[in-house]
Amino acid sequence: MKISHKWLKNYIDLNVEPEEVKEKLTMLGFEVESVEYLGERFKNFYVGEVVEVNKHPNADKLTVCKVNLGKDTFQIICGAPNVAVGQKVPVALAGAVIPRNQHDPEGKPFVLTKAKIRGVESYGMICSEYELGLGDDKEGIMVLEPDAKVGQPLAEYFGLDDVVYDVSVTPNRPDCLSHIGIARELALAFGLKLKKPEVKLNESDKKITDYASVEILDVENCPRYSAKVVLNVKVEQSPKWLQNYLKAVGLRPINNIVDITNFVLYEIGHPLHAFDYDKLAGHKIIVKCAKDGEAFITLDGKVRTLRKDTLMICDAEKPVAIAGVMGGQNSEITEQTRNVLIESAYFNPISIRRTSKYLGLSTDASYRFERGADPNAVIWALERAAQLMAEIAGGEVLKGVIDVYPVKIEQKIVSLRFSRLNSVIGFEIPKDEVVKIIEGLELEILNRDDNGLTVRVPTFRPDLEREIDLIEEVVRVYGYDKIPDKMSSVIYFSTEKIKPDFYEIVREGLIGAGFKEIVTNSMLDEDKASLFGDNFVRVLNPISREMSALRTSLIPSALSVVRHNFGYGMRDLKLFEIGRVFKIATDEDEKPRLVGNYVEEERLLILMTGKAEPISYDIKERNFDIYDLKGEVERLFRRIFLENYRFIYYPNNSEIAELEIGVEIGGKYAGRLIKVGDELLKKFDVEADVYIAEIDFGLICENSGIETRHYEELPKFPSVYRDLAFVVDENLPVGEIENAMREKMGDVLKSVRLFDIYRDDKIGAGKKSVAFSLEIFSPQKTLTDEEVNAIIQGVVKHIEQKFGAKLRSY
Amino acid sequence: MDVVNQIEEVKSKFFEEIQTIEDEKQLEEFRVKYLGRRGIIQTLFDKLKEVPKEEKPIVGKILNEFKELAQVKFEQKKQEIERVEKKIEKFVDLTIPGRFKYTGRKHPLTQTLEEIKKIFTAMGFEVASGPEIEDDYHNFEALNIPPEHPARDMQDTFFISDNIILRTHTSPVQIRVMESKQPPVRIIAPGRVYRNEAISARSYCLFHQVEGLYVDEGVSFAELKGTLLAFAKQMFGSSVKLRFRPSFFPFTEPSAEVDVSCFICGGKGCRVCKYGGWLEILGCGMVDPNVFKFVGYDSEKYTGYAFGMGVERIAMLKYGIDDIRLFYENDIRFLEQF
Repeated sequence: MKISHKWLKNYIDLNVEPEEVKEKLTMLGFEVESVEYLGERFKNFYVGEVVEVNKHPNADKLTVCKVNLGKDTFQIICGAPNVAVGQKVPVALAGAVIPRNQHDPEGKPFVLTKAKIRGVESYGMICSEYELGLGDDKEGIMVLEPDAKVGQPLAEYFGLDDVVYDVSVTPNRPDCLSHIGIARELALAFGLKLKKPEVKLNESDKKITDYASVEILDVENCPRYSAKVVLNVKVEQSPKWLQNYLKAVGLRPINNIVDITNFVLYEIGHPLHAFDYDKLAGHKIIVKCAKDGEAFITLDGKVRTLRKDTLMICDAEKPVAIAGVMGGQNSEITEQTRNVLIESAYFNPISIRRTSKYLGLSTDASYRFERGADPNAVIWALERAAQLMAEIAGGEVLKGVIDVYPVKIEQKIVSLRFSRLNSVIGFEIPKDEVVKIIEGLELEILNRDDNGLTVRVPTFRPDLEREIDLIEEVVRVYGYDKIPDKMSSVIYFSTEKIKPDFYEIVREGLIGAGFKEIVTNSMLDEDKASLFGDNFVRVLNPISREMSALRTSLIPSALSVVRHNFGYGMRDLKLFEIGRVFKIATDEDEKPRLVGNYVEEERLLILMTGKAEPISYDIKERNFDIYDLKGEVERLFRRIFLENYRFIYYPNNSEIAELEIGVEIGGKYAGRLIKVGDELLKKFDVEADVYIAEIDFGLICENSGIETRHYEELPKFPSVYRDLAFVVDENLPVGEIENAMREKMGDVLKSVRLFDIYRDDKIGAGKKSVAFSLEIFSPQKTLTDEEVNAIIQGVVKHIEQKFGAKLRSY
Repeated sequence: MDVVNQIEEVKSKFFEEIQTIEDEKQLEEFRVKYLGRRGIIQTLFDKLKEVPKEEKPIVGKILNEFKELAQVKFEQKKQEIERVEKKIEKFVDLTIPGRFKYTGRKHPLTQTLEEIKKIFTAMGFEVASGPEIEDDYHNFEALNIPPEHPARDMQDTFFISDNIILRTHTSPVQIRVMESKQPPVRIIAPGRVYRNEAISARSYCLFHQVEGLYVDEGVSFAELKGTLLAFAKQMFGSSVKLRFRPSFFPFTEPSAEVDVSCFICGGKGCRVCKYGGWLEILGCGMVDPNVFKFVGYDSEKYTGYAFGMGVERIAMLKYGIDDIRLFYENDIRFLEQF
């Protein structure tokens, strides 16, 4: 909200610099977003009087003028055709920044300097409207009012000698959405006295009750409605001072009647509405809710469709305003308006907020009503407006007010215990200080004793209802910076054992293996989400179509990252992400559902694409393949002692996967390793082989053996290594041979490692040679050559018989 | 004693000359000259005869020691010469670059979060978590934000259904933790939160927060100040100051926004702190008694504080990142910098 420094001075003797005001407001809880010095742009601009105009000796279109600026007279060269002796004109002197350069196609600002123009000195510039940034007229200089004061700073002439604070007022402080509200806070902070404007009304003999009536049919949503009538107003432009105040706070002056209601709104904080009295059928106000689907044209000319919970102000025949939000076109103040009915009411905040939200229409009035206006400021605001209408628009104020207020809203009584204050704050604030603060906030102290205070809270502070609210007020005004920094030394530990931080262990492992971590958006478009199942979660009000669903897999966003980096020529990528995926539960889902029927699951994604090793001078270039991915997954599992896993090899391919290996951990499906399918790649505009593993992170953590590690005695006897190569059918999976060896040899086979796959003419078509290195070991003794040979012969025979294989070398 | 002097003389010459040997040829000449069968050292042994009988053992010992030393030194020199010759023989180009390896990196958000986590866990905070798809009750109502409350405007919300939303802050984790256990409670809850705001350099539709909550008997505002100051000094440097400004959050009272003195310029004013000397880093306050009512805590017996900070915000300040979108774009050139 914008607050004018000059305006504030009507209520407090504020003789401090704006920066100090900003600091005080900030430390009172009113963050000042900006401080704008309105006159800044007219620094070095003055009102001048043209006293002499002569032809330029060297240029036909130029004149040499003498301009009086009060103390001195300056010689200025002018190119405008309309310059004439006796005019009051805006003059810029050297150093001024001319807002817009008439001779620059983009109108860029420039700094004015003294200059010789065609051989004649010019000490300043007489400006056009365009150059001042006040209008589009470039044709001639701007001519000011004849009564302009010569030598007056131009900012002052335009009413711009003001400083405007942009204050953000938190939703709990509707009372500070006004100049008096802010002035009250500053008065307390600076130790000043707050002077509220006195309202003195000169009322006519005519009684208002003879002219108008008010009926509230919905007291719950409109606890109070009051009105005053002003006759014979002259609707015209507001006086300059009023216009300047409104402009300073960002309002557009409309006419004196509307401007007055806005002025009072920004002064006192209470929204008012002015009706054209003669347009109110039956001169009657009825407050009631609209009918569902009813149409209504608001002041801004828009047609609004109402609901049955929209509170309306009606006359005897029709609705004339949406209560607390915006008036109607049918009763608005125009130049023809003679008589005015001023509304000052208190509406239920919830009702106003509902209406404002539903209509998508937030106004100065609705903003205040929904935060809580002061029900007991109604009459003050009403009379203040009536007084100004009499003074400014020459109206006749009718005697009395109509005030329908069936159930008075009472001031709350709240108690504060000093002991509680001190224990919440952790510091003892002197009692006298507490009392001073409470009084400064206009809270009435009903009782004070050693234990605490009982206070009556004015209705302009709807936020103060409980003891804690008073504690907050006291410490807020006392100053947070005066509360010491304490730190207790109590340390509790959880009674549950602290789990290993798998996030860190897994991350560190992958980083060691050369992977970079990515963090991606969990929202994506529905097409991409649906690639991984139909049970994805939709967002009802997405920012855009591209973000209308929650991810069910980390794969799409990872492919987007690949696409992005490819775009910058980075094609060798090793990436990983740990992130949540979301879905709507189906019956088989065992996962806990904390909220509704939604499942959130953490996943680990590992991605590789491009060259397996960075390009080097003597290493053969090779791209990543599925075995690199498999190797990385296995390495990660070894690192966290995850042993109870199993790979499942799928023979088929799909839209998503050209190659696919499933992973089962602890007997549960945990994810898969894939070579991404072409169709999916195409969707992401990626042209390269991409390998991705996506695995349930929860299952990885649960099945890690990291917490059950224990020492195993080191073997006393050495292992023996033997190499075996078999010629087998091309289609025989290596895994089956390995399994057969393990089956046959049992514990004696400590490890088996494939070290060669070979094909050539000698071996024959449809055949391949596979070579293994076997580690043979006995915990009881060192095996003799004979014993090893016997074992090897046994396994060779087994493999030859089982697979029709032929031993190639021994 | 004449012989002893001669030994000393030979010794110093020996050491002088051995320094000047540069190749195998010189080495051989040197060997013949000193250590050969007719070498200088042998001639010294011959002179032992001239030494009086009673001095013989001493002089003999000196001479033997010198001979041994001379042989050791000669061997060392020999190896040195061989080493040098070998290197000249086989040229190894050490300027060839090392075989390049892919470098792993933790995402800067992870690094920042880990730093925050470590500081608070060292102070005795446990780590808690909660769902990102949250219900209205935990995200708003139990945090003292009833329906139709203007404070709901402070956070633009993504809806999944009428009363299911994407959490707008990590504060609902406070509620979930308090629902599940009695005080004392001291937790931090890091996590992802969502806001329906236009995407720009300054705001994204999601970001990460770290929530903190401490509830026990006698927890005070002064302690909140002390704890956060201790955190800030660990996180940003021991000379930083904090500024607590009154503010409003429905779930805390009193509430504060906390600024840290600009650690870039030391508070003097710079581009990062917009010449104000302060950087806003977190919001905090004393848990509102209404929140305790929702979770069934006795607000007369217990008090507590809560705080919440944005991980992106802190990472941006710490590393001088000026566009929040960089975090989610995952450009390798960006990730490589952290």
